[in-house]
Amino acid sequence: MSAHTASPTEFVRTAPVVAHHFDDWEQQYESCVLGIWAFLVSEVMFFGGVFATYAVYRGLYPVAFAHASQHLDVYLGTFNTFVLLTSSLTMALAVRAAHLGRSRQVGLMIALTIALGAAFLGVKFYEYFHKYEQGLMPLLGLPFNYVGPAGQGGATQLFYGLYFAMTGIHALHMIIGIAIMGLFIPGALRGKYAGGNSLSVEVMGLYWHFVDLVWIFLFPLLYLVDRSL
Amino acid sequence: MSTTAQPGLSVYIKVYLLLMLGLAATVGVAFIPLGRLNLPVALAIAFAKATLVVLFFMHMSDSHGANRLVFVVSLLFLLVLLAGVFGDLLTRAEISLPSGAPTFDPPEIPLPPRH
Repeated sequence: MSAHTASPTEFVRTAPVVAHHFDDWEQQYESCVLGIWAFLVSEVMFFGGVFATYAVYRGLYPVAFAHASQHLDVYLGTFNTFVLLTSSLTMALAVRAAHLGRSRQVGLMIALTIALGAAFLGVKFYEYFHKYEQGLMPLLGLPFNYVGPAGQGGATQLFYGLYFAMTGIHALHMIIGIAIMGLFIPGALRGKYAGGNSLSVEVMGLYWHFVDLVWIFLFPLLYLVDRSL
Repeated sequence: MSTTAQPGLSVYIKVYLLLMLGLAATVGVAFIPLGRLNLPVALAIAFAKATLVVLFFMHMSDSHGANRLVFVVSLLFLLVLLAGVFGDLLTRAEISLPSGAPTFDPPEIPLPPRH
């Protein structure tokens, strides 16, 4: 990240800031980008564990999973996938704007990304509330009403447990991402990202695209289980 | 990753349109009865979409070797995890049960008592 000099000159500089423990701008850039990739690797393993759990139980109870998945709304799921992929585009354009030194455009594109992310979360929480009303929320000792095919209620409960766990930690990642993106906007409007000071925007973008990647796999695995049967 | 040569706007728009195509394919294919092939096809489309995002939105196509290595190795780790889990799961019954017992008959999980 860029160094904090706490002097008023920070916003009128035209060259990118290099922290004192780096030799030059290139080295700082490469180190930070490698750092966020290493973090994303740990995220791959974090989500990998949940996906492995899902794979095991889907392998053991394919019928219960197919039945339970029918109760998720494909239209809302598709709409949310569309929204999140679009937010990845606006994020990519924010990074591009930062590389081109167009600071106000960075702010605009990040604001759009935040709006799309918030829309995704809004739909998600509407879905959660709907599941709560239907009694399909196996959390906190809430009543679970769905029995599923031929007494496979336990396996159905597993599906919804996994649904809330996987989409929940995904939504948590989005909330964190949106909160951090909000911090970029005042600086962007003041011209902080002009003059090639693009590193933090690039790092933010990599995180946001990763959240998108996770959803690309979650959507077919949760919403579209054996829909053709 | 160079700040001097930026990919043009059209690259991002094209990748986005391909992702939309992938989304349409994901939903469309899910409703076509392919039997056991539905899951592999859905995963293949998801991997194609993920590859587009990683290569172009995350600039892996234009990235340094270290970044590529780190990310690809994470996928190998993931494979090791899945291999261990499924290696155990798929052989457990054969090893622990006497011969002649059904090898892949999932037990019913009893529901905890609810009030």
